Formats: sequence, C-alpha cells, structure tokens
Amino acid sequence: MSLFWHQLRNELWKLFGKKRTYIGFGAFLVAQNAMLLAFRFSDWQSGTVRLLEGNGYLAGDYISALTVAVVMLIPQIILLMPLYACLVGGDMVAKESEDGTLRMILCRPISRARLLAVKWLAGLVFCVILVASLGLMALVFARIWFPWGGMFVFVPGPVRVFAVLGAWEGLGLFAVSHLMLAVNACTMFGLAFMFSCFNMKPAAATILALSLLLLSLVMEAMPFFEEYQQLCLTHHFRGWLLVFNEPLDWLRMLQILAVLAGVNVTGFLIGLAGFHARDIKS
Amino acid sequence: MIQLHAISKRFGDRLALDQLSLEIPSGEIFGLLGHNGAGKSTAIGILLGQVWPTSGHAAINGCDVLRDRRGALQGVGAIFETPVFYDYLSGQRNLEILSHYTGPTSPDRIREVLDWVGLSSRAKSRVGTYSHGMRTRLALAQALLPDPQLLILDEPGDGLDPEGIHELRQMIQRLHRELGLTILLSSHLLTEVEQVCTRIAVLKAGRLVFTGSVASATRYQGWLRLRTDAFAEAVAMLEGRGLIAEHRNGDSVRLGEGVGSDAVVRALVEQGRAVYEITHEEQTLEDFYLAVTGGETNPAQPGTSGGLQNDGEERRA
Repeated sequence: MSLFWHQLRNELWKLFGKKRTYIGFGAFLVAQNAMLLAFRFSDWQSGTVRLLEGNGYLAGDYISALTVAVVMLIPQIILLMPLYACLVGGDMVAKESEDGTLRMILCRPISRARLLAVKWLAGLVFCVILVASLGLMALVFARIWFPWGGMFVFVPGPVRVFAVLGAWEGLGLFAVSHLMLAVNACTMFGLAFMFSCFNMKPAAATILALSLLLLSLVMEAMPFFEEYQQLCLTHHFRGWLLVFNEPLDWLRMLQILAVLAGVNVTGFLIGLAGFHARDIKS
Repeated sequence: MIQLHAISKRFGDRLALDQLSLEIPSGEIFGLLGHNGAGKSTAIGILLGQVWPTSGHAAINGCDVLRDRRGALQGVGAIFETPVFYDYLSGQRNLEILSHYTGPTSPDRIREVLDWVGLSSRAKSRVGTYSHGMRTRLALAQALLPDPQLLILDEPGDGLDPEGIHELRQMIQRLHRELGLTILLSSHLLTEVEQVCTRIAVLKAGRLVFTGSVASATRYQGWLRLRTDAFAEAVAMLEGRGLIAEHRNGDSVRLGEGVGSDAVVRALVEQGRAVYEITHEEQTLEDFYLAVTGGETNPAQPGTSGGLQNDGEERRA
C-alpha cells in the first residue's frame, strides 16, 4: 500500500511539475477578474436589485461576494472547466506514450491496470484542486470588490433555481456545490483520460472528449430531445445548482451522483481495456 | 536467462516476427542485429511485456512474461534508443519516480547509481539541461536502479558522438565485468557489437537468420590470401595438383580437403615461384552481417560463396 502512495505521489509530482497543468488555474484567475470588473462597472447590479426587490427582498443585503462568486462560476464551469479538465485528462497517458516515457515505465514490473489506476487517481486529485481553487479564487476576488453578505442564486431554464440565503448558510452550500462540481470535473477528466488510453495523440483525446461533451450539450438543448435529456451526460452536470434549491431534492442528487460515478467507472474500464490490449511501441 | 519460443507478431498485414526462437544464457553480452524493421525492437517489446505476441511465448528467468510479467521483470533494467525523461524534473527526481514502479528504493541506492554513472554532481539539475550523453548515462542509472541481473539495451548508441559511444562501450563492459550482468544489446553499431558481445543473433524481416558466437561469425572461413608471382599460373598448377579447391579475386585461394598451407608453399617454391604472403583471411562482423542479411557484400569476402563452419552452436537459416 505504501508503494501505491509513493506511486501516486510521483504521478502528482509529474502532473504538477508541468507548466501546462497550471493553464487552467491561470485562465480562471484572468477570467474571474475580467468578470468582476464587468460586474462592478456594468448595470448587472441594477438588474439583480430589480429582480430581488420584485420578489420582496432587500436587495442591498444580497449584492455580495457570495452572490457574485456563484454568478461568475456558471460560464467558467460551462466553458473553461471542461477545457482544462479534458486537457489534463488527454495528456495523462497519451502524452507519456508520445514522449516515450510510457515505454520506460512499462519496462518495469508494474501492471498496466495499476499504472492507470494511479494516473486516474492523480487526475482526480488535480480535478479536486482545480475546482477548489476555482471556488476559492472566485470568493476571494469577489470579496475584494463586493461586501460580505447573503447569497442570491437565480438560474432560469430547465434547472430552475431561485434561492435567497443567509451568508453562512450560503457559504456552506457554496462549499457543497463545489463537491458536486469536483465530481463533474472528474467525469470530464475521465472522458479524456479514457480516450488517452488508446493509441492517439494527446490533443486528439482532448478534442474527442470535448466534442462528446459539446454534442451532449447541443442534444440536450434541442427541443426534440427533451424526453431523452437523461441520456445526455451534461444534463447530469447540473447537480451543483440543485444544491441551492430549497428543499434539497436528495433523491435527484443521489441519482446524479450515481450516474456520474457510473460514467467514471465505465470510462475507466473502457480505457483500461483499450490500454491493456494495445502494444506499446516507440 | 531469456527464452523466446516460436514467437510471431503480426501488425495488420505485416509479419514483424516469424517463429522467432532464441535462448540467451546468463552472463552473456548478447547482440541482436538486423535492419530497421527487422523485428529487434518488437522482440524486445515482447520480452518486456509491452507488445503482445500473436503466438509463442517469452520467458525471463523461467517466468512467463505474458502470465507473470511482474515476476519476469523483477530483475530487469532496460534502455531505449532515445533516452527520454521528464525534462522539467531533476535527474534525481526522475530516478525516484521510475524506481517506485519497481519497488521501494532507498535514497542511498539512487545516490549509488548516480555515482556509478558519474552524474552525482548534476543530480539536482533539470534533465532538460542535460546533454545527450548525460541522458544516456541517466538512462543507464534508471536501468540499474532495481539492481537487475538482466540489462536490455535497445539501440543505446543512437545519436551519441564517438566519445559517447566509446564511453557507452566501456560502461557496458564494466557492467558485465563488475556486476556480472547479462546484457541483451540491440544495435546498428556493428563494430561496437563486435567489440562487446560474446554471441549474436541476426534478424532479417522478422526471421532469425543466424545465431552464434561473434568469433564464429568472424572467424577464418577456409580462405587464404596468397601473394605470389603470376597468380593465375600458380593457381592453375595448384588446382592441377589438387592442393586448392577454388580461387578468387586474383589473391585468394581455398585449400583442398585435408591440405595444409605448408603444402601450397612447398609446391610454389619447388616451382621456383616467390611467395610474398600467405595468411588466413578473416571477415569483419559487418561483412558477415551484410552477407547473411543479403546486403551489399565486399566481393573479397566469403559470405556469399560458402557456408559457415559449424561448430555445433551456431545456427544459420
């Protein structure tokens, strides 16, 4: 077991030793500050005030760092998070294969299954850190520009969320929503990781995974497919928003978690089967 | 130590290895020769459990590579043609990472191998700053980490300058001498193989065309270089007396059955001919290699004209 931890630690050294691993963190930092400037100096605030006051709330209490942090998360989660999770997932095996280091690893008595398991776990650790950083950065930067106060979450559309919460309750749910987001990121990573196990370039694995996610998003949005939304992976990525709904739909949350866990395990097994069957050559 | 039994490997329509059987006993430095695409790297890949054979089986130290890869590779180190590492990490960190794919490795062992290959002073530097020669030495260090009994070197001299090749040769000989390692060396550098290896196998288009000792591949093949007055008249006389079986190139003769070179010299001197030189001809490994693989042969060499002497150990298909 201690050897397994050593191997996992080594994978993390490899992963976090690469500059490209930090692209996601850097992009989040830039995007969040750009959005914060827009929120601070645009009429976003007045629109939010109108919406809150129309529902009988004192708007001033809810134009806060927490509210802004959640609003900022939405576009980043839809666009940036899949990109960076898939980028790392696509690199995980395929880049080592492309560089030739995989051949050097596999001349040692480690099984392919164990190697993949270690890499996959390292990827999950990356996803958790990425999501935690995303939330933490959002909160810290939002706090610089906006006051501490209650949380207001409003998301129109199929997953309708309207929640007005106190500051500490909001912070707690903000943290819980990040657990769900971490599961989403792990699933996105897992898709790219699965493709990465086959004989293909890292970019191809990343693009395939992103294409699959995009296809799911498009299909889900088409009126004709409304009845089949459950089959679209991205449909199950909305669990993090459901966290804010009152009362919390536990059954729906468990369903989402079960589906995403199933996708993760299936992706890993398909990747393992592909990786096991392939010849590793220079 | 290594056993390959009737190994075949097909990539799509291409047969990369065709019924390859090979045994390499412990303690040898064994050379694996062949053109690009002859199947050397595929054979090594199968030995290391990286390539699945279409049929046949491979074993190291009695452990079947396909069934018990972990057991088979426990005492194996390997280097591939282009030494690749995680350039953004230090040499020492690279070794730490790679060592843990085999088993727990102490920092002392890592320092020991770094010292062995002469990289201690650069252990903390990023591998990206290493020269090609240093990378090769680091590759050797990682191969030595698990304290192997078998070292597999797949084209390790590729891209090295003459000093690097010399250094590598010294290192291989030292490993064999001081650590008693069995070494499987796949290389295009025939002069290196000739100087380092005790036995060789030659692959051609996936088939084994020769296996035997380097000495048997390069030894005297029954031809003598003969420098004498009026060579054509001299060989006619020698053939007439049954002293030589054949001649070629105006300077070489093959002795008749049971005839010694002294008889040839005596006959020539009796005829009043001057004999300036009579000496056994030996071929280089390169000549031998080109002959058995059907490459361009030196017309002065015997590879195309006769069989090898069979000393009971070599096999030529």
